[in-house]
This record gives sequence, structure tokens and C-alpha cells, in this order.
Amino acid sequence: MEFTWPAEHLAFRDEVRALIREWRTPELLEEYAKSYGADGPLLRGFRAALAERGFLERCFPLENAAAGDSWLQFLFVEEMEYWGMPYGNLTWTSIGPTLSRFGTEDQKRRYLPGIRDGSLCFALGYSEPNAGSDLASLRTKAVRVGDEWVIDGQKIWTSLADVATHIWLAARTDPDAPKHQGISLFIVPRTAPGVRVRPLQAMYGGHTNETFYDGVRVPHADLVGAPNQGWPIIMHALNFERVALAATGALARLFDELVAWLAAERPAKLADPLVRRKLAELELDLHEHRALAQRNAWIIARGGTPIAEASMAKVSGTELRARIANTALDLLGREGVLSRENGDLAPAEGRLEFAYRIAPIFRFGGGTNEIMRDIIAAAGLRLPR
Amino acid sequence: MDLTLDTTQTLLRDSVRAYLEAELPFERIRALEREGRSDDVLWKALCAQGWLGVPLPETWGGGGASLVEAGLVLEELAKRAAIVPAAEVLACLLALARAGDPESAAALARDALAGSAVPVPACLEPGGDPRRLDLAPRGGLLHGEKRFVDYAESATHHLVSARDGGEPALFLVARDATISRRPLRAIGRTPQAHVRYAGSRATRVGGAGACRELGLLSRLFAAVQCLGAAQAALDQTVRYASVRVQFGRAIGSFQAVKHHAANMAMRVEASRFLVYEALAAHSRGEATPRRIALAKASASRTAPEVTLLAHQIHGGNGVIEENDLYFFTLRGKDRSLAWGSTEECLAEACEGLERPRDWLHGA
Repeated sequence: MEFTWPAEHLAFRDEVRALIREWRTPELLEEYAKSYGADGPLLRGFRAALAERGFLERCFPLENAAAGDSWLQFLFVEEMEYWGMPYGNLTWTSIGPTLSRFGTEDQKRRYLPGIRDGSLCFALGYSEPNAGSDLASLRTKAVRVGDEWVIDGQKIWTSLADVATHIWLAARTDPDAPKHQGISLFIVPRTAPGVRVRPLQAMYGGHTNETFYDGVRVPHADLVGAPNQGWPIIMHALNFERVALAATGALARLFDELVAWLAAERPAKLADPLVRRKLAELELDLHEHRALAQRNAWIIARGGTPIAEASMAKVSGTELRARIANTALDLLGREGVLSRENGDLAPAEGRLEFAYRIAPIFRFGGGTNEIMRDIIAAAGLRLPR
Repeated sequence: MDLTLDTTQTLLRDSVRAYLEAELPFERIRALEREGRSDDVLWKALCAQGWLGVPLPETWGGGGASLVEAGLVLEELAKRAAIVPAAEVLACLLALARAGDPESAAALARDALAGSAVPVPACLEPGGDPRRLDLAPRGGLLHGEKRFVDYAESATHHLVSARDGGEPALFLVARDATISRRPLRAIGRTPQAHVRYAGSRATRVGGAGACRELGLLSRLFAAVQCLGAAQAALDQTVRYASVRVQFGRAIGSFQAVKHHAANMAMRVEASRFLVYEALAAHSRGEATPRRIALAKASASRTAPEVTLLAHQIHGGNGVIEENDLYFFTLRGKDRSLAWGSTEECLAEACEGLERPRDWLHGA
């Protein structure tokens, strides 16, 4: 058992912090807040810097992901989230490593460089109006016609589809096979004829999308893996997603911001023993969550695939996020209602209020916490099915 | 960062576990509980096998291992609901080794490892405030009361916290007729007593540092015991839910039961990490008292949460004493309250909330 961090990890963290100090300007944060991380000249510049200085390659190695140091990824994501910096998205953390593992040589040649330099952005085309937690019942279909596949159907929660270059799309290719065995994965250019995007405004201020596919033609060369072998690829990609969802930096930041704001602006409130007791409990929750997140990273570091561990970290982190946001607004009292649009009136520039509005999506996104608990019970505890 | 036990640690844990499973039937523990006694047979074995001495300095004949190894042994004992003063004796000896007067403790340690001396901490004073420290020996003689002394009955020595010229210090008191005990029937069903000293000869063996160290080690070890109780309850619950059939299915296949079990596992794993992290950090001398308080707060709330969910899944079968579950429920709550309850530990963590923290290095 070893709980200390080796010097090279600490040095790496210093390197990440130096980069953040260099780039974290009010202008960049403003651009990030406005576009919800999607796009903008400063964001593009920052991403290019991350790629140029090798942070992406070290943290999310595209080739031979298994040989990467998962602790670098852990530290990188933690710092980026703590400082509210746009560190990329599922294109790097999930699609890149998955494509690297399951894609053809031709696909890797065509897509990995763009994923690496930040010029490609994928939106996930998994969920459908009638296929949520029961994802394998999806009905969007792809039919082989000569050297192409023709795709018809509808996806929902296709976040980033309006700014993405591609959609990572799951479609049914064998309607007669058992439902998990008739699904294939395609790379669909977002601008392909027949793709339509309809934004859905969300209560956290950003938006997600519905996407419609009407006779969309995709070359066979953009089928990922073999036909009808899409399900394991989706599961693989989802596991990477959960690792990112379980990150602790953003939660630690919310806690620190709450304490700092109370200390500076409402010292009498912070002196209240009941307030302090609530804060101490939240801090304990954070340490406990961080323990589960580190356990998850440790499984990856020793070459394993975290299944129950990833689910534990996902559940604890996402439920804690909601608890921190809710408790934070409670402690702020009436002032907690103010969003960032209120300028200097808003406590902590409205970030706690925003955290409350966005907290629900983490609990059901990337696999609902109810499904996660099923996974913990089945894979971790071996309870009967 | 590596949570893997090394080969020596694995061997240690597995041999203690195998021994306890083979040699310590729960029936014997039921009998000891009824008689209010400590397990002398097991105690002799722990000393003879060298397991007690594993974390003690080599100069004393110990194994020179870290607090992590102490934790592994204590957790196995807790998972078997053993009634032996292992945590108490180790806390005393390690406090003296780390921060006390090791010279004066060497003879005591040798006797303890041989099984002939059993020192236990006596720290808590009447009134329920763990910070209170009024006792002060005069002319080398101790008068006054200590409460909730674990294994006070079978102990050969009490390591008593008391004032020495206004400063906290530790005094060694050998059992004799000046000590009277009032046995308690505590929820954990291990021997505990309120103790009265009427002119007991007290030898100073450590100062304020040793006194603080005794409290921190005792707290860490109680956290390990909470963890062991929770782990044992979880393990037993998973076994039970896999074989108990209702509505034609194992109840563990019902989502409601699975979700309880998943929540139990998450509590256990989070506390396990924090407790062993604190043990390792304290071994290196890098754990702040606040960090130890947070680790104990975590384990202290995990034990009741997990064991109470275990009861929900066991139904009536879990509350009868023919079933083993009650050991962990009752012992878990007892240790959860010992050396700082969740609330008491969180109250300590309220100090220092404003201090900038490096999340990377724990509390």
C-alpha cells in the first residue's frame, strides 16, 4: 500500500498548473461560459497549446491507451476542472482511445491526427427518444447499399451536435438479431446531407440537441469495427466517459469557492457552528468521493478495467455534486438565487447557482446511477442477476 | 499511489484470517460475551504467533512494520468480532515508542509481547468531554476517576492521561488494590469499566506528545475496527442475499436489495481508503490530527450505516443472536462512538475549514 505521490507526478501537476496560470484569463473563461466549452478563438488556442505541449498525448494517449499513465490523466482532469478550464471533452477522453482500439488503420490515419490537434469534435449519437437506459433497444437503422450504409432515424441528447464535426452514431444493422447483437457504430460527418440538428434549450443555460437522420449515406470505410459488433465498443467508450464524470476537481472547487465567499463576504455566517458543521460534513463527503475516484484510477493504472469501481466513483461524485450545490445555496440563503447575469450581486459570480441547475445531468448522464448500482452489485459484489 | 498489499502484508492478513476462521468459532465469542470476559486463549495465540508485535520496534522484539500492518491485523480481528485488547495494547506501546519514554517502556513491551503484561489506555474523565483532563498525581500517587476503560478488568497496567505541572502527560499505573472498577454493560459487549484510582502509584512515562499520540492511535485503531465490522456485515449480507429465496428468486437479484448492497459497498470502500491512508500517513509522521479525525468520522458513520442496511436485508434473521450479524452491528456502533464519534470528529474538523487545503494530499 502506497498513498504518497511520486515526484514525477507532482512535477507533472506543477506543469499543468503553470499552463493554467498562463492561459486562465477572464476572457477565456467568459468565452467558455458563453459557449459551454464548445468553441471560440481562445478555446481553440488553448486546445492547440495542450496538444502542442504534449498534455493530450500524455494523459489520453491515442495509440496504446493501456500503456498510458492513468495517474497523469487523473491529475490533469482534476486540475483542469478545479480551475474551470476547458480541458477537452469526450472526443479526447472517450472517442479517441476507443477509436484507437477498435478502428481500422485507415480510420486511425484519417481521424486520430484531428482528434489529437483538437480540430475534430465528436457528438455522441447513442440515446433515442425510446432508448435511454435501455440503450440496446435503439431503433435508428443503417442499411447496407453497395459500398455505403444508409441511415434513417432519430437521436436525442446529442450534445455538441451543432458545433461538432462528426457524430459517433450507434444504429441497428440487424433487426432480427438479439438486441445487443444487431448494433453497429458509424462515424457520420455532421454536415452530411440528411443530418438535421434541432437544439433543445436546457435549464442550465446551455442546450443539447435532437438529431434527425434522413437517408444519410456513410461510406463502409466509416463503420467502426465489424458489422453488428457495436455494443462492446459502446460499453468500452462509456467506461472512459465514467472515468471523466467521476473527476473530483470541479467538486473541490465548488466547496472552496463556497468557503472563500463566506469567509470574505459573510464572516458572521461562517462563524456559526451549525454552518461550520455542515461544511465539515461536506468536506468529509469530498474526501470519501476522492477516495473512490482514486481507487478507480488505481485499477486502470495496474492495467485493469474498472467496472464496479468506475460505477462507484460515478455515483458518489455525481450525487455529491448535487449535495454540494444544494447545501451551498441553502447556506447562502436568499442570496443563493442570483445567477451570474446579476454581476457583482451574485455570490461567487453565480457559479454555485449554476452548479445547482446543472447538477441533475451528471446523475443520469453516462448511465443512470440506478444502472451504476446494478453494475456495482453484479460486477463488484457478484449478487445474482 | 498503489492500494495493492505487498506480499508480506498479504501473507500477514491471510494467515491471521485463516487462523481466526479455523480457531475462533463465533460460539466462543457468544460465551465470552455472556461471561463478560476477554479471550485469553486467542490472546496467547496472538502473542505466540508474533502478530501482536508486528508493528512494534525491532529493538523491543517486534516486527518493525508500519501502522498499516497493525491495521491489517486489527481489521481481521474486528471482522471476527474477537474480544481481545489488541488495539488497546498496541496503542499504549506504540504511543510510548513513538512519543514517550522508550526506555521506561522497553520492559513493559517485552512483557506484553510475552503475554504477561497487558497495558490499556485510561483517558476519558467524567462529564463526557473528551478534552477534559483534571486528574493530576500528587507525590507520585493518583486519585480520581477514568471512564470507559476498555479491558480494564484483564489489564495488568493502565496508561493514564493526567496533568503533570499543568501539562498533559502519561502515567503508568500497575494493577493493585488501590484500583476499583465498575464493569459496564456496553452496547459492544466487550469488557469496559469505569475506574477509580485511590492513591495508585503512577510513574510518568511520557509528556504531552505521548498523551496526544495515545489518543490519535486509539482513534485510528477504533476506525479500523469500525471498518472491519462494516466489511464483515457487507460480506455476510452478500452471502445471505445470494441464497435467501423469496418470490422464487434470490433476494439479491431484486434491484432494491442490489442498491442497498451497492451503497454499503461504496461506504466500505471509501472508508477503507481513508482509514488506511491515514494509517500510512501517520506512520510517516505526516498525518495531521484533523486528517485522522476525518478518517474516524468516515469509519464512524460507515459502520452504523452499513450494519443497519445489513439488517434491512436480513430481516428477522439478522436480529436473533444465533445469527452472527449482531456482533458487527453492536461492536461497530460501540467502536463508532469510541475515541471520537462522527459528531465529535466532525466538530474537530470544523477547526481549520478556512485553511487552504491541498486536495491531493488528503485532509
